[in-house]
Amino acid sequence: METEKLLGMALDIGEEMLISGAEIGRVEDSVRRILMTYDAQRADVFTITSSIVVTVTDADGKTLTQTRRIRKYATNLDKLHALNALSRKICAEKPEAEAIQNELSQINKGKNYPVFVQCAAFALIAGSFTLFFGGSALDAAAAALIGAILKFAVLLIDRTGVNMVFANVVNSFLVSTLAFLCTAAGFGTHADSIIIGNIMLLIPGIGMTNAIRDIISGDIMAGILRFCESIVIAVAIAAGYSIAALLFGRWAA
Amino acid sequence: MTYAVQMVTAFLGSMGFSVLFNIRRTKLLIAGFGGALSWGVYLLFGGALDDGPLRCFLAAVGVTVYAEIFARIKKTPTTSFLVPGMIPLIPGGTLYNTMQFAIAGDWAQSGSAAAYTIRVALALAAGIIVVSSVMRMVVAVIRFVRIRCFKPPKRQ
Repeated sequence: METEKLLGMALDIGEEMLISGAEIGRVEDSVRRILMTYDAQRADVFTITSSIVVTVTDADGKTLTQTRRIRKYATNLDKLHALNALSRKICAEKPEAEAIQNELSQINKGKNYPVFVQCAAFALIAGSFTLFFGGSALDAAAAALIGAILKFAVLLIDRTGVNMVFANVVNSFLVSTLAFLCTAAGFGTHADSIIIGNIMLLIPGIGMTNAIRDIISGDIMAGILRFCESIVIAVAIAAGYSIAALLFGRWAA
Repeated sequence: MTYAVQMVTAFLGSMGFSVLFNIRRTKLLIAGFGGALSWGVYLLFGGALDDGPLRCFLAAVGVTVYAEIFARIKKTPTTSFLVPGMIPLIPGGTLYNTMQFAIAGDWAQSGSAAAYTIRVALALAAGIIVVSSVMRMVVAVIRFVRIRCFKPPKRQ
């Protein structure tokens, strides 16, 4: 296979893995292994959360570099599973370029849960965590309703393409305001429990944990980036809540 | 009673996130039980240990072992079960509190919430890494022994 094509394909796989939520180490390892399978002399892969850089030296001693910029992630563990299986298969069977391309486009076509199921999942999560953090059954019902609304807000805001910080301020403002309104109307008693249940949907707790994990595993750059990102998003979420609390907090029971 | 509610909601919450992370079929249930397990371990050590982060560490160890085992059975990356399983443990609530106190100008409270958040995140990360490193070592040893003692038919 031509080195250029091979490198592009390995990067496609790596990029999709990173977007789907693979650890940095897994991405680097997969890309390197794929390249070495096709008789590269040497492959250097450097990955951080927002970029992949690969330099490969092929069997003839020609050197090539390509980079990819990653702007957006969407954790998709089913896709990650498929990509992982594909990269293992490539290393074991060394298939032709067309075969890989086909499988990759199959994987990219893979479906997500339909919107209403995701909406139900938002409601389930918000309701569950409201109970988890000590809310009453009525609070949980209110949180579930707000969670379902939040899903649509997230979809809408995604479509406008505003930046991540502003989107989080808006989402958290919306959630907090609705929670204050609900408690003011007697639907639920603890605005705080309702809010925390929904905040769990937004807050980057996993990002924070993964950041530290990256740092301990030696991917310090990636870890620091992820850490800062989590902090920024958390500040945005708290800001959204604070604005809502200033405006409507006194209505809440 | 509160413990029972927490266990059930931990399970449901983890399942919900598994749906958002597009986990499919039986793996969805496995992922949900991972969440219940992690919170179960956390509660289990509640009697013996006061320190939240330490309990988080033990819970992370438990859920990582669980995730590693089922990842091998289901032939999928460990992440598939690890991320949903960690959901009840992640320091989301305290991270939020940290920023909320900071915005309110209450630096003392914010500082202690921040310290707690970092300690929990560290504990979780450490738990994951301890188990996955030990697992990797065990796999390497098994592979080494297998190659030395029983020559495989094809060696690259």
